[in-house]
This record gives sequence, C-alpha cells and structure tokens, in this order.
Amino acid sequence: MGAEEKFDLIIVGGGPAGLTAAHVAAKAGLQVILLERGEFCGSKNVFGGIFFTNVMREIMPDFEKDAPLERVVTRRRWSLMTPDGEMAGEFRFNKFAEAPHNNSYTVLRAKFDKWFADKAEEAGAMIITGAVVDDFITENGAIKGVKARMDDGDIYGDMIILADGVNSLLAKKIGLHRELPAVSTIVGVKEVIALPEEKILDRFGVEGSHGAAYEYFGYAARGAIGSGFIYTNRDTLSVGVGGTIASLIEHKLNSNDLLEDFKKHPVIAPLIKGGEQKEYSAHLIPDMGYNGLSKLYADNVMVAGDAAGFVNASLYHEGTNLAMETGKIAGEAAVMAKEKNDFSSASTSQYEKRLKETFALKDMKKFRNLPKTLEHSPQLFEKYPKIMEEFVRDMFTVDGEPKGKKQARLIKRLLKQESMFGFIKTALDVRRVIL
Amino acid sequence: MSDKFKTMEDKLGLDKFKAFEKTHLKIKEGVDAHKLVEGKLFICPAKVYELNDKGEAIVSFENCLECGTCRVAAPDEIEWEYPQGGYGVTFRFG
Repeated sequence: MGAEEKFDLIIVGGGPAGLTAAHVAAKAGLQVILLERGEFCGSKNVFGGIFFTNVMREIMPDFEKDAPLERVVTRRRWSLMTPDGEMAGEFRFNKFAEAPHNNSYTVLRAKFDKWFADKAEEAGAMIITGAVVDDFITENGAIKGVKARMDDGDIYGDMIILADGVNSLLAKKIGLHRELPAVSTIVGVKEVIALPEEKILDRFGVEGSHGAAYEYFGYAARGAIGSGFIYTNRDTLSVGVGGTIASLIEHKLNSNDLLEDFKKHPVIAPLIKGGEQKEYSAHLIPDMGYNGLSKLYADNVMVAGDAAGFVNASLYHEGTNLAMETGKIAGEAAVMAKEKNDFSSASTSQYEKRLKETFALKDMKKFRNLPKTLEHSPQLFEKYPKIMEEFVRDMFTVDGEPKGKKQARLIKRLLKQESMFGFIKTALDVRRVIL
Repeated sequence: MSDKFKTMEDKLGLDKFKAFEKTHLKIKEGVDAHKLVEGKLFICPAKVYELNDKGEAIVSFENCLECGTCRVAAPDEIEWEYPQGGYGVTFRFG
C-alpha cells in the first residue's frame, strides 16, 4: 500500500469477529481493510460445529437465504462418558426448527466464513488474503498501522481491530495479553467424516434438515481434562475431542491418538461406522474464562473474539456468537471514534464499556470460575466416571440380589473411594460453573 | 469405520497443504531437543516433532496444522510464527 493511503480501520483476521467488525464499520461508511493470512477467509478456521447466529441475524436479517448452513440443531445431548460406556441426558425441541431456528446451525467454517467474507466485501470492506501480519507500525510510540509480510505490506490506519484468533501474537506483542496458559488452553482435534444423509438421520434420530449435537464429558479424553463431540452436518459428521495442553502432557497423550481412541470407544464407534474421513484439523480453544480475558483496548487498538479469549466453555459451549458480538461492538466503537475523530483509548474504551451491557461479557462473567474448577477437579475426568460406571452398571445388573442390599453395598464401596463431602463439594462446584 | 485412513501420514494426506521453503517452527538454540520432544512436544496433533533413529529431533513443519499447541506447551523453547501468507494448510471443510 502506498504511504499516502490511510484507512479508517484495519482489521486483522477474517473469522467471525473480524468479518463482523468489517461488515458493521464498512456499512457505516468507514474505509475498512481486512487482512487474512489464509488463501481465503475460512481457510485457517476451525471450530467444533455450531454457529450461533443471534448476532448474524441482527446485522444481516436475511442471512438464511444464501448462507451455507448445514443443519438446524433441534437436539442437544450431553453424555458422561465412562471407560466402557456412557450415561446421558438430552433435550429435543422440534420448535427450535421454526424461525428463528434457535440461532443454532451446524456449519463448516471454510464454506461459511468464505460466504461471510463476500458479504463483508459487499458491505464495502476491502479484504486482502494471503496477508500475514507480524507487527505494528509505530511512530513516536503511537501505533499507526500494521506490517504485513508481503511486498508493500505497510498499511496505515487510524484504528486496528485485532481479530487474529486464539494465538493472537499481535495482542501479546503490545502487552494486551500474556502467553496462553497451558492449563486452560485446549487443543481440539477434529475429523470431518462423510456419511450418507439417511444414515445420519437414522443414527442421530432427526428428520429433514434437523440436526443433533452430541457432547461427551467425563472420560472422553482418557482421563485428561477435556471433552469430545459429534455434530451432524448435511452429509458429514464433525467428530472431535480436546483436552487442556497441560493435562495431555501430564497424561502423556498425543492429541491425534486421543481422537483415534475416541473414535474407537464403544459409544462412538457405531455412530461413525462406515464413514469416510474427509479432513483432519486441529485448533486451540482459549478456555481461560473471564479472568483470563485480554485487555480489550489501547490507544488505536481493540481486541475481539478468540484473540481476546471470548469463549463460553460451560455446558452451553458458545463461541462464534461471542466473537460476532465483540466484533460488532468493536466495529461500532470504531464508527463512533471516527465521528469524534478521536482514536485514543478515550474512544476505544467505549468498546469495553458497551460490551459490559451485552451477553458476551455477562456470560463470560457468570462462568468465570469454570477454568479453575475444572483444573482443580481432575476427578471429574477419570475417578468419578469410573465410580459412576460401576455404581450405575451394578445397580442395573439383574442378578437376584435385592436392590436395597445392592445399594447399601455399593454406597459402602463408593465411600471407600471418595468421601461424601468430596462428592457433594465437587457436585456443587460443577453445577455453579456449568449451568 | 472404514480402515482406509489410519496413519497420521494418511490423515494429513486428506488435507491441502502448500509448503513454503522456509520453516516457521524452530526449537531454540541450546534447548535439549530430545528431551523437549519426549517431555512435551509429543502432544502435537500432526506429530510434527519426532525423534529419528539417532534420537535427534525432526521438525516436519510442512505438516503443521498451525494450531499453536507446541507454542503454548513450550513457550520458552520454541520460536513460532505463522507461515507465509497464503501458504501452509488450507481447510476445505473447517
């Protein structure tokens, strides 16, 4: 870019946070440039499987007309996995298939984010792909733009939104966040597995365009702190598992081996049987929670989405909507800053101020103790699932032993492995942080 | 499950890669690479870090899925940057 050219807003990263910011700011008339390091927006982006579209609906009410959506999620199921089986609970509401579709669609990000990028361009944003940003341009300590690793890669702008994803080396560079902690950063590995549509409908008990989300807790990561999932797409399944980096190291588990084992688990194997693998991917999930969020703004800079740590890792497993909400508010803050022609933190701080009034920051706050509770409750991932399996399986074993006697015997055995106080404390801690 | 894709090599063969000539992953000078791979980097989803027959660390950066796991596992021992723009892995599903 020529030095004479200056943008109102530079956005780094073409995921849901960056693209939302681009869409909102460009539509309001700002000169916006978005830099994406991949071949196209979406080409580096991976998630589990549900795109929550409440914010998408706000900025683009008719998105369902042409967005590449897979299935509307009408059924969510949570399973406590044990070494040999599972115990599960679920909901299924066909009402969720009616507009507004509970804003819960399975999607494949390479297609979805690419589509979204086209919409942001239509709104007026300029998108440059194949542009990886390594650094900022500073003059007398003030940030004036970014340096992309390419010819003529110095790009000047009044404001920068960092939406460069979980690794956000740029936010780290200017001290907005510390290195991701291994104890609360999850590495997720995933396969997209093709399966004929009628098999998906039969196996997951859904009809037409309805879809299911199966999530696996407990012993899903072979005793490490982690969980697994299967999400139904149109004619593929997204199958994955993840664990905190620290916990996988401690358990000497390679993340791909973990996925291979997950696929062979007696609960998972029949659901994916006969499928054909299409893609293997891996991605980090920032699970630091509210207390681990980055600083959200500085002079000329705002941080949105995964880059700032916006993931709700509770039972609700929301992320894409938090990314979009933070991107939206950051984009709007940029528009207000432009109106006032003030790009200092007096303006960019409006981003955080307004975000406090939204579900994004409120939900992060509500579940703020989740990472710590999980980190300090390794029993949830190995010891308890094993005890539960034994207890439930034995209670349901039909062998002529009177149930009362069986129960007394099992409780006695159970209390040898864990005190009643330990059970109750863990149960209360967990309920508070996941629901 | 079909038995077609079992090894890591076969699984990575499903993905689209465009390798850049220069590595974007380095084990820092002076680090005991053998110990680092055995102690931490074995968790890499693409098994980019492996030990050869002589026990030396091999870094197959061209197989990198760009997740950042190694960077977070060993922030003081690894130099990590994004690959050149437009290179590396391209997800077709994501």
